[in-house]
Amino acid sequence: MNIQFEEATLSSSYSLLGSGFGSEELDQDLDPEDSSPSSSRPRILLMGLRRSGKSSIQKVVFHKMSPNETLFLESTNKIYKDDISSSSFVNFQIWDFPGQVDFFDPTFDSEMIFKGTGALIFVIDAQDDYMEALGRLHLTVSRAYKVNPHINFEVFIHKVDGLSDEHKIETQRDVHQRANDDLADAGLEKLHLSFYLTSIYDHSIFEAFSKVVQKLIPQLPVLENLLNIFISHSGIEKAFLFDVVSKIYIATDSSPVDMQSYELCCDMIDVVVDVSCIYGLMEDGGGCAYDSESLAIIKLNNTTVLYLKEVTRFLALVCILREESFERKGLIDYNFHCFRKAIHEVFEVGSLFEGSVWRPTSSSGIKQKELLNGF
Amino acid sequence: MEKMSRVTTALGSNSITGRTMFCHLDAPANAISVCRDATQVVVAGRNIFKIYALEEEQFVEKLNLRVGRKPSLNFSCADVMWHQMEENLLATAATNGAVVTWNLGKPSRNKQDQLFTEHKRTVNKVCFHPTEVYMLLSGSQDGFMKCFDLRKKESVSTFSGQSESVRDVQFSMKDYFTFAASFENGNVQLWDIRRPDRYERMFTAHTGPVFCCDWHPDDRGWLATGGRDKMVKVWDMTTNRAKEIYCVQTIASVARVKWRPERKFHLATCSMMVDHNIYVWDIRRPFIPFATFEEHKDVTTGIVWRHQHDPHYLLSGSKDSTLYQHMFKDATRPVDKANPEGLCFGLMGDLAFAVNESLISSDASRKPYPGGDRRYPFFSFKKANPTEQFAHVSSTLSVFETDLDSNCMDWFVKTAQLYLLSGKPFTELCDHNAKVAQELKRPQVSTTWTMLRIMFSEPAPGPNQNLSKLGSLPLMNSFSMKDLGSVMGPEGRLERHKGESRQDNIHLEPGNSHISNNNEENEETEGSDGPTEYMFGDAELDDDDLYPMEHENQAVPEEQVYTLPPEAFQLRHEIIDNPSAPEHLQQDKADSPHVSGNEAEVTCLTPIETVSLISISQPLYSPHLHGSFFCPIVREMLSHYAEQGDVQMAVSVLIVLGERIRKEIDDLTQEHWYMSYIDLLQRFELWNVSNEVIKLSTCSAITCLNQTSTTLHINCSNCKRPMSNKGWICDRCRQCASACAVCHHVVKGLFVWCQGCSHGGHLEHIMNWLKNNSHCPAGCGHMCEYT
Repeated sequence: MNIQFEEATLSSSYSLLGSGFGSEELDQDLDPEDSSPSSSRPRILLMGLRRSGKSSIQKVVFHKMSPNETLFLESTNKIYKDDISSSSFVNFQIWDFPGQVDFFDPTFDSEMIFKGTGALIFVIDAQDDYMEALGRLHLTVSRAYKVNPHINFEVFIHKVDGLSDEHKIETQRDVHQRANDDLADAGLEKLHLSFYLTSIYDHSIFEAFSKVVQKLIPQLPVLENLLNIFISHSGIEKAFLFDVVSKIYIATDSSPVDMQSYELCCDMIDVVVDVSCIYGLMEDGGGCAYDSESLAIIKLNNTTVLYLKEVTRFLALVCILREESFERKGLIDYNFHCFRKAIHEVFEVGSLFEGSVWRPTSSSGIKQKELLNGF
Repeated sequence: MEKMSRVTTALGSNSITGRTMFCHLDAPANAISVCRDATQVVVAGRNIFKIYALEEEQFVEKLNLRVGRKPSLNFSCADVMWHQMEENLLATAATNGAVVTWNLGKPSRNKQDQLFTEHKRTVNKVCFHPTEVYMLLSGSQDGFMKCFDLRKKESVSTFSGQSESVRDVQFSMKDYFTFAASFENGNVQLWDIRRPDRYERMFTAHTGPVFCCDWHPDDRGWLATGGRDKMVKVWDMTTNRAKEIYCVQTIASVARVKWRPERKFHLATCSMMVDHNIYVWDIRRPFIPFATFEEHKDVTTGIVWRHQHDPHYLLSGSKDSTLYQHMFKDATRPVDKANPEGLCFGLMGDLAFAVNESLISSDASRKPYPGGDRRYPFFSFKKANPTEQFAHVSSTLSVFETDLDSNCMDWFVKTAQLYLLSGKPFTELCDHNAKVAQELKRPQVSTTWTMLRIMFSEPAPGPNQNLSKLGSLPLMNSFSMKDLGSVMGPEGRLERHKGESRQDNIHLEPGNSHISNNNEENEETEGSDGPTEYMFGDAELDDDDLYPMEHENQAVPEEQVYTLPPEAFQLRHEIIDNPSAPEHLQQDKADSPHVSGNEAEVTCLTPIETVSLISISQPLYSPHLHGSFFCPIVREMLSHYAEQGDVQMAVSVLIVLGERIRKEIDDLTQEHWYMSYIDLLQRFELWNVSNEVIKLSTCSAITCLNQTSTTLHINCSNCKRPMSNKGWICDRCRQCASACAVCHHVVKGLFVWCQGCSHGGHLEHIMNWLKNNSHCPAGCGHMCEYT
């Protein structure tokens, strides 16, 4: 499936997607960074002790590897740079560091590594003794903080599928306590660590990654507001804006995320892309499994309807709504049309302001007014 | 002063009346809040913002706050709160990040008072200070909490929860400066309002988001939290480290939690998804709700106790666009429907049994538990509140230990050891096994073995036996006339007819008697056999009469018929021969009329098939109804035993019957039985028996069990060290390891050696040597033995 998306990069994709309304110039606007040197891109670094599950996380989230297959992954022995920006909205590079990287090695250029980094994910194996990992965490984090204090530090307490619920909380509490104590001792109270309990065997890793990525998206408040408006005017219960390739949600409305709904939406994306791969490609095998024509409606037997529609080349809106709300499909379609336009404008503005600080309030005000008119 | 007096009057007029009632709203509600004197309720949602008056019989819409030409996003409320001191003051949290206050005292239609747009993302919660009029707290998705002074245009202080979304903020009831905040990452933080730079305390309360928290109205230190992990937890905050003192497991993620006024241990919860009910829990009994309100058709989004000192009225708003007032007396009590009796088996066969005390005391005959009848009174509250409409239930828990002998498997071990599965003629095996079963007091099994013997001890298994037992009685030779008719030349047919008919006449009487004997014994397992046999018999008799002519052609001497059968067939050989025998094809090939055992199987079994009906009558009357006739029944019996858990019987019979039954049962089932039995045997460490079973089994999957993981380690006979794999020479002592002790040459074929002294040699040489000598040929002095 990745191949499909990779084919759809740059030049080839423009011709394919040209039919979509206004998507031609929008796509250009959407990937302004494609032309910029890769070093300027925000990076997500994956770090942690060896065998803590970094490569597995990367494979499962970004390469659709089934969790069971990760058992057979070789341990990584050199820095593995994975550029997913060509296939995903998440315009990031994931750097998978081998567990045994030595910071004091003179060849390790911490300056270069941490400078352009948006988030540093440190993976701790919860099923193992994590004392050594905590030491390494402290070392890594303090070092990175010195170079670049704007990094988001995220700690994945990983492989929790093997722990009981109580044990999970206890582990999180313990890790949290110790890590923060260490930082306090070193006088780094300002440095904030976020903790997530993750496992590749359920969707917790996707949710955690979603949160990590969301923090790096400056447009998040606007997106959230747009979603809020969209769902309240269309009678929709829950809406996610998904990055199709990784199934990370880059925004959702402000109501709490329920794991089941999220899993349902993830599954729907899988279904749509898979079916599209089989029947949606052109005769010669060309084309893309996910394009501007992508639209899917799945009616479940519990009076719930799932609704998926393309928003941009990488993003899809997935909604959960009741059957009775779905009777007004015309309204939903129109609202979606407005929503899609607004999203495109958001990223247009984002690209204009690129490099400078992006101000969401000013532009979102306009957007929201327009939207309201639309509704 | 005026305010104070109003407060007292509100408290004094504690005579709220009403009933369970509801009204339809225009849109789903997100939150509700009630004003201090409990006469009005405000409902807020994405598309609704209204105030209802609570009257005796109904809700009356008082005011719609959503006014104006165009609906503003500021009206799209995520939360609402009515000030508990100032009855004209409300605050709402909008999904676009605005915090709005409303002054009902305004003369204009638009009651909007202040608008704070400081949050970037949705504000999830607003909270007024319980005693301070102008202090308002908000918590937002953007991870910040802001404290507003309503006399100022902007926030006084901002508290950063460090980038995680805030789901709930609550001022402490007792501590003036403290508030609690719950977060999406599972943390709960305690803040001092005067110190915005850093939280006072933080702890991880839930896995996954914490959606709500509520301070206990009376107890200073208790905080209840509810989260996506479906739990409600009560924390004691007075200690240095937050301690979880109660935990209630619900069936869905907990959206709201509210302590019940005047009841120290009660709290109400509603869930976020799936479950539409409102539960009131007694936290000391976390397994079953104290009361349930089941009115709503969709998820309940807001619950509030109508009056802060009255525990009997609960208001709730829901996504199904209704607003309810629930009367506590109308609530369903799941406790009443719950079964107070419980029964559970322990791993070792112990039985725990909890029952209502009143029931158990009346049962005088109950024997107390030997190790002290352990009784645990539970479901009983130490201090039963007299005002509580709550049945005082107490149960006793009795534990009965099983008598270990009753379920011991001695019989299994004994049977496994004593059963003979091979090595003797079939009938003897059966007799032996029957005897074993009889001795172990398992009459049914014993009878089954006897039955099997009778059913299958036909000429088929061992003609020699037949001869010896039946003495002069000729073998009954029967065969299918169909074959004869179709294939054989007329001469052959004639010959056979003669033979058969004669026997027929001879054996008619004894045959009949034999069968009837059978039937008597058969009662238990196959009562149906008798009648059918007789019926066939009758029918055949008639046939016989119809074709009397054939019988007269008796010319060929019978000797020819009997010559072959008397050969002493080995049991096993016979079995191997048999399977093909029933096939008519083979019979066709066998020209000679020696039919004996093999053919007996065919004919009598399938009288319908035969073309010529004449000969049929004869075998039916014989005592030798062929074994495969019983196969379906035996198959059923085996399945029955296997299903009863006595797979031992199934396998034993399978082995003893061998080919007679094997074809009848599909290979997978057989394999399954074998595997189960072998597994059982190995658990009882009956390795020898297990090995024997493996050896005797006919399933290829089973027999190959022995060929896996069998490793043979060879030691040098000189230095007694392990040999390397290659060659005949030991690495260490440089000698030929497997030299024959007799001829001193290297043995390259069969090597036999004494397990005592590890000397040995060519099989032949050793055999010869030991015929004459009893000592080891190597001269080590060991008394070797060759068996």
